[in-house]
Amino acid sequence: MTHHPKERPNSLSRRGFLLRSAGAAAAVSGAGPLLAACGSTTSESNGAGGEGPGGLPLARPDKRVTLPRWEDPIESGLEPETGGTFTVFNYPAYFYRKLLNEFGDKYGVEVQVTPFDNINSGLQRLASGGVEPDVMEITPDTLDIGVAGELIKPLNLDYIPNLQKNIWPQLVDPFYDGESRYTVPYTCYATGIAWRTDKVTEDIAGMDQPWDIFWESQAYKGKVGLLSENRETIGMALLRKGITDINTEDPELVNQAVSDLQELYEICNVKVDDLQYQTIPEGSSWLHQAWSGDMIAGYIYYLPKGTPASALGFWRAPHGKVPVQNDCFAVCSTTKKPVLSHLFLNYLLDNGVAYENFVDFNGYQPPLNEIDPAALVREGVVPEHLENSVLTDDDLGPDSLQYGTLTSEGQQLWQDGYSNFLAGGGS
Amino acid sequence: MYRRWLWPASALPGVLWLVLLFVVPFYAVLAVALGTVDPILFQPVPTWNPLEWNVGWLNEVFTRLAPGGIWFDVGVRTIVYVVIALALCLLIGYPVAYYTARHAGRWKGLILILIIMPLWISYMMRMLAWVNLLQEDGWVNEVLMFTQVLSEPQDWLGGRDLTVILALVYGYIPFLILPLFAALDRIDRSHLEAARDLGASPWSAFRRVTLPLSKTGILGGAVLITLPMFGDYYTPNIVSGAPSTSMIGNQIDLYFHGGPQPTIGAALTIVLAAFLTILMLYYMRTIHRAQREAGTVGAL
Repeated sequence: MTHHPKERPNSLSRRGFLLRSAGAAAAVSGAGPLLAACGSTTSESNGAGGEGPGGLPLARPDKRVTLPRWEDPIESGLEPETGGTFTVFNYPAYFYRKLLNEFGDKYGVEVQVTPFDNINSGLQRLASGGVEPDVMEITPDTLDIGVAGELIKPLNLDYIPNLQKNIWPQLVDPFYDGESRYTVPYTCYATGIAWRTDKVTEDIAGMDQPWDIFWESQAYKGKVGLLSENRETIGMALLRKGITDINTEDPELVNQAVSDLQELYEICNVKVDDLQYQTIPEGSSWLHQAWSGDMIAGYIYYLPKGTPASALGFWRAPHGKVPVQNDCFAVCSTTKKPVLSHLFLNYLLDNGVAYENFVDFNGYQPPLNEIDPAALVREGVVPEHLENSVLTDDDLGPDSLQYGTLTSEGQQLWQDGYSNFLAGGGS
Repeated sequence: MYRRWLWPASALPGVLWLVLLFVVPFYAVLAVALGTVDPILFQPVPTWNPLEWNVGWLNEVFTRLAPGGIWFDVGVRTIVYVVIALALCLLIGYPVAYYTARHAGRWKGLILILIIMPLWISYMMRMLAWVNLLQEDGWVNEVLMFTQVLSEPQDWLGGRDLTVILALVYGYIPFLILPLFAALDRIDRSHLEAARDLGASPWSAFRRVTLPLSKTGILGGAVLITLPMFGDYYTPNIVSGAPSTSMIGNQIDLYFHGGPQPTIGAALTIVLAAFLTILMLYYMRTIHRAQREAGTVGAL
């Protein structure tokens, strides 16, 4: 029997989570504490079979999870709070300041942005009480921590009609957050390869395995980079070897991927950074693992005068073989303005706001129904040869490749592997 | 009675400062390194009671740093970078400090201000400025090519050991020059005059008198710049970004920046601090010996 959260006499506290997940420090209990506490699971499957933080099932594109609500959402029909500040906890410069100001003007609040370096460290700051934001950006692979730690609040979608109205069906009821109980999507992107077409001579898109370009890049030594994200870096090395399980926790596969990455020290003195949106257009990097939004942002903002758009190249693998992801927004438990926070989520899904944020500021595409890659090319937003930077609803389907939450042991394995790669070998 | 407590009491603010800003934070890092991790949030859960400390993370760090371990190379690289950077700092900084203390005359104040001036700008901004200067079409290449030192532009930012070492030198050298200047400036000139009167050549007087008397300044400055250099991670990040030039601080940064093992980062910090303590002890022993030789210890 499935219990609706309102039927539960008491909300489950974080302490309850911890007590139920007592046991080894690094591993969560096998009992699925949060789900057990709900009486029976509201998830439609057990995800990938393992358990993430708090015993929550691991969601995968083909294994959908509906997360239990740890408290009731706010009631419908409430008036938004006004006055004071409204804090957005996000990556720096990832939301158009003009749009934030317009939201603030509309509701009589001062919108401030508190930046974080990455979502994991942001969640840790939130948990420590060091920040008290109203809304924050979160990703599907960190969602379990937010929910199990009671750091984000369940949503009342009555306040967010734009979700149903404007957003791709795949993300209205996404696999990682069935019924959109905690999140709404913000941007989406694929991981591929960006390069300077005037410097890199190989036909990357025509190669049997385009990821091999990094292992054949001796001529570009010092100008080659990978993303500084352990999932992306190791995941890319797995894909190169034809392993499409980019959430594997098999030590042999992960260690082999790390060993392959270490070959790049000698081959091209590989760098790791997330500056490709700037360094490729400016020409200080010639070949870089990149997200699809990077080249659009690079084209809009960083391409120097006199450098043609055709100098930018981007490749991504075909559907089903390319890692795709989306960022989300959620309401933080620390908010003193829960209604306004819901309205902010609705605001960012407004067609006009989302489109303006995309084309006039960050270059990362919102998953809007009305966005059509061909139309973006026609309107000159995206150069024709970068049309593959624009995703469609199909790209995030059940057969897509997406980095999902790992078990605690899996996260250790990937982090240690990345540490090994980052150590740089003998110099 | 009043006089008996007056002077010891004057040390109280310093002691409080040390306790609040060194002993307590250091104990907190120790409690984190030897503690556990919240299974949901992956936040470190400090263990304050030493009887309950878990040394497993420390063992893990030692294993990784040992020969054959995954951090052995980055550990060796860090030591090599710091030793070379320190040597270069001394080679550049000593003559500057010597000239300022002994020969600058009325320009002394101005030179000191010029040495300190870069510190008015944040370290990060100064490094980012160098990124512009070191670009292939940047001023460094232009000057070196104009002076025909180079025939073609170099990719200084392409992940080079030399760039990281020079950036460390640039970033930390003022902190070496200042204590060196203070030590050299304190040297009583009558010692040098006595040496010269007794027939010592200028070089011999420097080697036998000035250099030994400035030893505490050399060591003080060396300790002052070595400690932060060992923990530095942003310098290699900014001017290189290549794993082949990463330092041990990058590993601490990685483990503290999210993920399920913040205790590894804390344990590595402890091991690094223990290593640096050895340098510190040597410095303190040298200072103590110098003071004893000068007759200041015990005189109080």
